[in-house]
Amino acid sequence: MVLEKVIDMLADYSDVESDKITEDSTFEELGLDSLDTVELIMGIEDEFGVTIEMSDEFKTVGSVVKYIEDNMEQ
Amino acid sequence: MIRTPICEMLGIEYPIFQGGMAWVADASLASAVSNAGGLGIIAAMNSNGEQLRAEIKKCKEMTDKPFGVNVMLMSPFADEAARVVIEENVSVVTTGAGNPSKYMKEWTEAGIKVIPVVPSVALARMVERVGASAVIAEGGESGGHVGEITTMALVPQVASAVSIPVIAAGGIGDGRGIAAAFMLGAVGVQLGTRFLVAEECTISGVYKEKVLKAKDIDTITTGKRLGHPVRSLKTPFSRRMFKCEYDMNVSDEELEQMGVGSLRKAAREGDLENGSFLAGQIAGMVSKTQTCHEIVTEIFEEAEAVLKGAGKWVK
Repeated sequence: MVLEKVIDMLADYSDVESDKITEDSTFEELGLDSLDTVELIMGIEDEFGVTIEMSDEFKTVGSVVKYIEDNMEQ
Repeated sequence: MIRTPICEMLGIEYPIFQGGMAWVADASLASAVSNAGGLGIIAAMNSNGEQLRAEIKKCKEMTDKPFGVNVMLMSPFADEAARVVIEENVSVVTTGAGNPSKYMKEWTEAGIKVIPVVPSVALARMVERVGASAVIAEGGESGGHVGEITTMALVPQVASAVSIPVIAAGGIGDGRGIAAAFMLGAVGVQLGTRFLVAEECTISGVYKEKVLKAKDIDTITTGKRLGHPVRSLKTPFSRRMFKCEYDMNVSDEELEQMGVGSLRKAAREGDLENGSFLAGQIAGMVSKTQTCHEIVTEIFEEAEAVLKGAGKWVK
């Protein structure tokens, strides 16, 4: 559920088709730089109502999804 | 007299920062700017902890006014620098080249006012949330590492997005630039290039001469292919770098290697063949050597005159 939503947001943002984005996709592969990542993280926070600590190194879609899931349970 | 909230916040007389330029912003320049009533800033660049500590101590001997340290987040010694600024009770830290979130907690708990350089609205919002006292919105007119967005476009967007004070940087070289920055929503400015030719700036004479001679079109950005574009003066080195970027026979590694040590070679040795002479687009406006005190007082007199005259078009 979280994964689908994040993939939708990424597809919308990067114009990469959603069926080409998987848990293992890295932001780099999607053509996103560090500023894009910050932009997305802020969007994801608004969407899921979680606060994301950027001290974690987010490289893949899966790593962000896991973070959201872990923090939503609390 | 021009006073803004940033003056009270930092205990400075004029709302101006001197940029934390690597191999340029040392204790001599930073203390001179602070003594002139602005906020001088020491560049931590790639210094290790002890080198940085020595420079901070030197600066304390040269001024009793507040000064800051710029922590370059891509530095291999960023963790050490982050600790040293706390141990040395530095009052202001600016950050560059990345997201400072992981240091924010310990810095703010130590009472440091953290003012990150932000090239986008999202990063400005993020650092505000984690406790930044203000942000420096730096447009791509500046020298050194640059983003895509210009100061004219970035400053108002950041000013609308955050409620902390915004300092404008990039493309500001005189009082007109300061007045314009205020109109865009900034309450302070950061200048780098204008201070390159300050008498207290210890860079090579060749570097100063290049800045003084530069015209409007004399800067170039290189390094786009590597993902971190840099603005510098046109020299044999930067022109060669520019060419190599479009030459696919030159690998990314070779390109990266060309840049190693180039800032030091420019600032300390004045080496036109191998040095990277960073400067912003306003280099063409910098035409005389002055003391930091003369620079600061002159540009704020200009800014005041421009701002006072601004009503003349309103009928």
